Amino acid sequence: MLKIFAIFWNKFKEYIVLVILIIASLFALSNNNNSAVKNVRTIAFSSFAVFSNIVSDITSSTSIKNENHKLRKMNAKLMLQVNLLREYGIENQELKRLLLLKDTTSFPLISASVVSKSLNTKSNTFTLNSGKKEGVKPGMPVVNDMGFIGMVYTVSDNYSIIRTLRNVDLHITVKDERSRVNAILAWDGDDLILTNIPKTSDIKIGDRIVSSDISTIVPLSLPLGYITSINNSSSDIFNRVKIKSFADLISVENVFIIKIVKSVQVKKLQLNFYNKD
Amino acid sequence: MRTEFLYSLIFFVPVFIIQTTLVQFITWNAIAPNFILILLVFYSVKNGQLYGTILGFVYGLLFDLITGGLLGSAMLSNTIAGFLAGYFSNENKRHIFFKPYNFGLIVLLCSIIASIIYSIFSTFDFSTNIITSLFEDGLLPGLYTSFVAIIIMYFYPRRKLIES
Repeated sequence: MLKIFAIFWNKFKEYIVLVILIIASLFALSNNNNSAVKNVRTIAFSSFAVFSNIVSDITSSTSIKNENHKLRKMNAKLMLQVNLLREYGIENQELKRLLLLKDTTSFPLISASVVSKSLNTKSNTFTLNSGKKEGVKPGMPVVNDMGFIGMVYTVSDNYSIIRTLRNVDLHITVKDERSRVNAILAWDGDDLILTNIPKTSDIKIGDRIVSSDISTIVPLSLPLGYITSINNSSSDIFNRVKIKSFADLISVENVFIIKIVKSVQVKKLQLNFYNKD
Repeated sequence: MRTEFLYSLIFFVPVFIIQTTLVQFITWNAIAPNFILILLVFYSVKNGQLYGTILGFVYGLLFDLITGGLLGSAMLSNTIAGFLAGYFSNENKRHIFFKPYNFGLIVLLCSIIASIIYSIFSTFDFSTNIITSLFEDGLLPGLYTSFVAIIIMYFYPRRKLIES
């Protein structure tokens, strides 16, 4: 019996190993949300991020000169905007006080640098050099000066992985800033698209898209992008709307993590709504 | 052989760091060359099909774990790429397969297959046009990777490799 097995093994060992490894890969695919897998992943990426961080520091120093020039220019523009916004802010505070509204706009920011990027057409992820020690938690939104970048996915002590807007697994509830029409924003592998927008909705090319207040994962209004095209297909009841993000999701290097996570209270309330007992 | 496998794992570390930190500077519209696949094809052609299949699995596992991608997608695509590349491992023809253009063609074949498998298992979205998807997810990254592989092999000391 053993002899037959040995002959069979010698003749087909490459194919046997291939089949076993394919089955192992498929098994891994179906166990992605297992807590043990998540723990192993956290250890693996935090160990490698140390090396990536060193290389990233070296490469980023070469581009600092160009970046400084851009930042000085942006600084001047922002100074003018800040001046204007300060006036609006004072006016806004006065109006809010009058209306006895609670101010909920002060969110703490955690600064972070991108130490490594996994760039492909479907599922981009970035590794950031801020982690649990800085107070980062999964689910926190990540932004830069231009707008929304992505969402924290996994966290270790000193590092975290984020899913960017160019990731098919990240879906966000958004709204048209002008007409207040809500939709779901998703990356389809080629473009950022808005889904579930009926043809009768009031949307135009150039409209700014921001995250919706009703979103359970980004519960504040953050700029995401603007509409570049509206595909009005006759065979569909929904429009296919393409979006261009404000932030450059490939060359981004420095980001901020907004220290908020989805409301536990809201989530509990929504779950209670579905409980039948 | 064990030492060789250990070396191929050690080499993975700098190549992975290059892939995740420096490749962004030569990326065109999110289409990037896959240095890990080039390394995998190199070892598969050098050491055989069984070696390539197992190494592809290990490289894929490490890649999925470290990048936070869907665990299993790179494992599956790299295992099959390593297996395919192993078909070109022949002691008598190795000097032919390590010529830059031949090696580039092997990388192109493996890269196209690996990119398509990776793309299918990381998205599960069959609503997009399959021809466009094959072109954008398979052919373009494959061509870019094979172009880089040709450049690398052009400067690689092949005589020493064949003698060894």
